[in-house]
Amino acid sequence: MQALATSVEGDSPEAQAARRIAGAAPGEAREAEAELYRLLAPRARRFGLRHLRDAHAAADLMQHVMTLTIEQLRGGQLREPERVLSFVLGACRLTVMDQRRGERRREDLLQRYADALPIADINIAPRLDHQRVADCLERLAERERSVLVLTFFDEQPSEAVGQQLGCSPGNVRVIRHRGIDKLRRCVDSGRRTA
Amino acid sequence: MSATPSIHPSLDALLGYWLHESDPAATEAIDEHLMQCQPCGEALDELVALGEGVRTAFRSGAVSAMASDAFLRQVVGHGVRVREYRLAHNGSVNCTVAPEDELLVAHLETPLEGVERLDAVVTLSFSPDEQHRFHDVPFDAQAGEVLWLPKVDLIRKAPTHTAEVALLSVDAGGAHELGRYTFHHQRWSGR
Repeated sequence: MQALATSVEGDSPEAQAARRIAGAAPGEAREAEAELYRLLAPRARRFGLRHLRDAHAAADLMQHVMTLTIEQLRGGQLREPERVLSFVLGACRLTVMDQRRGERRREDLLQRYADALPIADINIAPRLDHQRVADCLERLAERERSVLVLTFFDEQPSEAVGQQLGCSPGNVRVIRHRGIDKLRRCVDSGRRTA
Repeated sequence: MSATPSIHPSLDALLGYWLHESDPAATEAIDEHLMQCQPCGEALDELVALGEGVRTAFRSGAVSAMASDAFLRQVVGHGVRVREYRLAHNGSVNCTVAPEDELLVAHLETPLEGVERLDAVVTLSFSPDEQHRFHDVPFDAQAGEVLWLPKVDLIRKAPTHTAEVALLSVDAGGAHELGRYTFHHQRWSGR
């Protein structure tokens, strides 16, 4: 695992929470644990979504990584708590590799530690007004709308979309950039006036 | 890895990362960045939510698109219920939309070789004075057809009518008609 820069990690709110957990008796720093969970769980979940492409698997990864991290901090096994970001990133990567190998260790850990995990509310993803998105899509040029539909229906890269529409990946990226920019502005303006 | 997470990836880079366009080194760098940078994570979440919004709008039949046969097969593979009509060059068809149809597709066969830009003009019999022009629609010249995915929810609510679609090749010399297609739409009668 490639370590994140220590200077970033050492002063961060994540490192401060990790130090409080490591410095307390096991399970006594509940507030710091909840804070660490609130900060890092969405990032672990995002990593899982990107690499596993499955919402349930990503939620499992998030729970597993956060459980492991907090257990390691409580038990003093994470010798440099200020490097908690590196630890979480490494744990995310290992968990994805484990999942791809079909290993069951993740489930074992979840069963062992699920009760001990502090649960904090996390803000996972923004919710959009779908009617507004549909209205804004209709305002796009035909080519932009088609590229966005083909891109996002199955989360396809520009090369696949280009093959399907008979144009180059570079051309798709240009059209996609323009389309997303217009769509974001349109959806945002609807939010502001709502 | 920089000493501070100050080199924020652009939105295009974040989207490329999300869509698996980034190479392994770039993917690793963005993984690391996102682990430290809350604003970039939130920006990516916004993009992903926008993509989800596009997907939902399309699946609910609220947006039209021009696509390809390969894309259509993908859609079918996801369990979307599709009603397809194939029209020969300058052809016509009797058509409808069943309540369970999620997507309506018209395959319009037309010679596309040498076409630089394609426009489509739609005229509906219940408002004959009004023309809906779709400018610069995407097409694959090799395919020899244009795949039109109209808004299902609009057609489902429409009365029995006739729709004419004219495909126009547009270049510096002006526009000329490539083909004309007629849809005799009947409201779903339960059969």
